[in-house]
Amino acid sequence: MQWAVGAAFIVVASVAGAQDARLRDRLDSSTAARVGAIIDSARFAGLPTRPLTSKALEGASKGAPGPRIVAAVSRLAGELRSAREVLGPASESELDAAASALILGVRRADLVAVRSARSGERLTVPLAVLADLVAYGVPPEAATQAVVRLAEGNGEDEALLDFRRDVERDIALGAPPAAAAAVRLNSAGLAETAARAGTDVQTGGPPRPRKP
Amino acid sequence: MSDDELIERAAQELRRPVRMDPAVDARVMATVHVLPRHRAERARGWWAWLTQARTVRVSPLGALAAAAAVLVATVVIVPRLSPDAASEQLAATTDPVALTQAAAASSVDSAHVVQFVFVAPTARSVSLVGDFNNWEMDATPLEAGPARSVWTVKLLLPNGRHRYAFVVDDSTWAADPGAPPAAGDDFGMPSSVVTVTGSSS
Repeated sequence: MQWAVGAAFIVVASVAGAQDARLRDRLDSSTAARVGAIIDSARFAGLPTRPLTSKALEGASKGAPGPRIVAAVSRLAGELRSAREVLGPASESELDAAASALILGVRRADLVAVRSARSGERLTVPLAVLADLVAYGVPPEAATQAVVRLAEGNGEDEALLDFRRDVERDIALGAPPAAAAAVRLNSAGLAETAARAGTDVQTGGPPRPRKP
Repeated sequence: MSDDELIERAAQELRRPVRMDPAVDARVMATVHVLPRHRAERARGWWAWLTQARTVRVSPLGALAAAAAVLVATVVIVPRLSPDAASEQLAATTDPVALTQAAAASSVDSAHVVQFVFVAPTARSVSLVGDFNNWEMDATPLEAGPARSVWTVKLLLPNGRHRYAFVVDDSTWAADPGAPPAAGDDFGMPSSVVTVTGSSS
């Protein structure tokens, strides 16, 4: 019996050691323990832990002090939890993108709107584009409106990614982020209308072949 | 003859010992031994073996060997089997030959080759750090072009969002000017993000 208990202890200890090896190697013991506790809690809640481990490793590589690393990991865990509450069952990449959007100031109601526009489909790209637009400086409400309209209209990931690239290019050329998003959204709307009517409309961007 | 007498005679007849061939027991047992054992009985036997308390004597050397085997299994084998580790190994592949082999071996829908480009005319070295290589500075060096100003590297990345940054001359962190900034600059050094999807990023 003692032998079995000892073996079980060795197994549990070695599994925990394998999971925390990267953190132990790169963080001081106190920070590693606190980050490990956050990760264990996230795992227990069914949240993805890889983004949390990666955040801690990022902080270590950037030479951040321990408390700052713990705060960043804790904040991300909270946003992942919020994202899961809004989206329900979702993949790691969907939760990661949604958490990024929340960190940037997107409201939970906006995530609900995106989810409704893409009901039953993968949300990674719409949520990623939403986060990217806000990161470029587009106001969260305008970014959400654009993503929802595009997701409801064409519905394809490619259209969303093209939209993000166009807005990014306009901003790089000096356009205010909100104006860039509005103009490109209007262009996309015109193009959509033209496609439905079977006519050609000059949208200002290079012509793109549409998927059949 | 009364009923009672009749019953008594029948009972006596039934009580009389039956004469049997003395070898019948041996024949029956031989037949039983030849038949396959019943599955449930075998299971009960295993269960009894497993649940029966017993004393196990193990030498210290044997216990250490068992512990070492458990450690090797959990530290070396289990991480290799986990999807996270597989993704990281996939992402960390930079050798062109290995890259091609990995691309051929992996699902086309789940991973894509992504080229990272950074312009740094005065740099002596540029490396790529990110989610996909545990933010290790030495893991993914970029190669300089002929003019030593454009630095590139190709990686096979699984679908999803990946944060990354460039490190110039092992000291200066830089975001990718051609990619969206990552959310939450928690550490005072900006990073970028790339979204790898089935269509394009």
